[in-house]
Amino acid sequence: MDTELLPEAFVELADTLVAGFDVIDFLHLLTDRSVELLDASAAGLLLADPRGELRVVAASSEQVRLLELFQLQNDQGPCLDCYRTGQPVAEADLSTADKRWPHFSAIARGAGFSAVQALPMRLRDETIGALNLFRTTPGAFSTADVRVGQALADVATIGLLNERSLRRAEVLNEQLQGALNSRVIIEQAKGKLAERLDLDMEQAFAVLRRHARARNRGLSDLARDFVDGSEDLPGSAALPPGQPRPAQLPGPGQHPRPGRPGPRPGPQ
Amino acid sequence: MAASRMAIIWDLLAARAVERGSPATAADVCAVCVPTVAVTGAALTATGKPDAGQARMGHVLCVTDEQLEQLEQLEQLEELQLTLGEGPRIDVLADGAPVLVPDLDASHIAGRWPALAPGARMAGAAAAFAFPLRIGAIRVGVLDLYRREPGPLSAGQLGDSLIFADAATVLLLDRQDRLTHAGTPDGDGRADGWADGDGRADGSANGDDLAGPGPGGQPLELGRHRAEIDQATGMLTEQLGVSIDEAFVRLRAYAYAHDRRLVDVARDLVSRTLRLGPGSPPPDGAA
Repeated sequence: MDTELLPEAFVELADTLVAGFDVIDFLHLLTDRSVELLDASAAGLLLADPRGELRVVAASSEQVRLLELFQLQNDQGPCLDCYRTGQPVAEADLSTADKRWPHFSAIARGAGFSAVQALPMRLRDETIGALNLFRTTPGAFSTADVRVGQALADVATIGLLNERSLRRAEVLNEQLQGALNSRVIIEQAKGKLAERLDLDMEQAFAVLRRHARARNRGLSDLARDFVDGSEDLPGSAALPPGQPRPAQLPGPGQHPRPGRPGPRPGPQ
Repeated sequence: MAASRMAIIWDLLAARAVERGSPATAADVCAVCVPTVAVTGAALTATGKPDAGQARMGHVLCVTDEQLEQLEQLEQLEELQLTLGEGPRIDVLADGAPVLVPDLDASHIAGRWPALAPGARMAGAAAAFAFPLRIGAIRVGVLDLYRREPGPLSAGQLGDSLIFADAATVLLLDRQDRLTHAGTPDGDGRADGWADGDGRADGSANGDDLAGPGPGGQPLELGRHRAEIDQATGMLTEQLGVSIDEAFVRLRAYAYAHDRRLVDVARDLVSRTLRLGPGSPPPDGAA
């Protein structure tokens, strides 16, 4: 763990909690910092929806393969075990985990990961989700990493509540649904932008995030306004309503398209 | 984690629709929600977009016993919040997240809605739970649940309420879509005749009509593989040049017409092996 970055990271998280709070921004920041501070290659935050699903709300990368790894843990995996038991769950070597989680281990290894750690997001007696960490090299996360990771998971819980008083038990449920819905808006915005600019989803997310920062706006708000059509992004001109985009050739980055202005995305 | 609760609730709604002999409506959501979640009243309101151009649905109200007095009280409570400009159903539209109030008196004491509590008490409501009807940027209304006695929703009841809200969202979306396209020449064949499904002709209905040209009585798959469905919806706003509301309706319509799972269609769109455009064949045409 990089101890020099540690105090700075917590100060930054605290600042985000206080000023102009956007819960999705905050949770993304937290997963990014988890990767930097801990010996992890990827991180994701999953929340338990009362409807009966574990849902990703933020991840250190928007790569489809990584998000899939989180989504499939609804059926099997360290996050599901962690959520059910309320305890940390770890696997130091995924090549030996086929009995434990046959489907999950295969997919995780296929994505290049060798070790995994899940840490519970807890509030009083309840587990509300999990912080999921992946490594590309086998080996357990150090004791120090697990402690800091748990602290980050706890900060995520507090950030989600975003209230001084925890008097109202309903706050968590309300905030959670708000966060989950914000995530949906962001996915919708990614799709719209990816189609408009001929990007993949990861690139589209990066563009959204960049614009939100440049305009000093919360990511969720910007995404919602973009989907609603009340905010445009530079380099992405809107067509008049009711007029669809012209058909494109299949696959980004494969063929030059006649008459397309502006810079093209690089090869994937 | 299982989606079984979602399946159970959709079966309940479909069964009620079959019992009544016509496709499921928002009123069915209210009617089934009240006993399932153990509340004493439910009010569902459609909030049309300013440019939607169709008549607002107004309220659908439902109480445990179909007594006129209770219905009137429920109506009063809804109107009171609009008049005062405060209350759970007002906040839920502003914030976009559910507003859960297990004890309206306690909220009043805490100063949250100072004017509301006396009126709420007279209207027989001690607890209120308001749910926005939305899927990301798609917003179609509000579902308000009330109880005569104070107390929170249990975790199971909360989960069920959210699922009922999802069902209501889809039903209102489809209704909004039918009203928008009814009678238009380029309605793509989605005017009432097709949207009503097989049951309409002889007056009977099957559970497949639950969500109009939807996924045919299956739970809406708003759980698993959620990301692709949402991304595909966003993509369709561009491909078809439509609002996000209509994009979602068209996505489901395509899946239904081609007898494919919603998630599979979404994945094809996201991976760009499928594209829908203005020249797409109408739902009952060849693929």
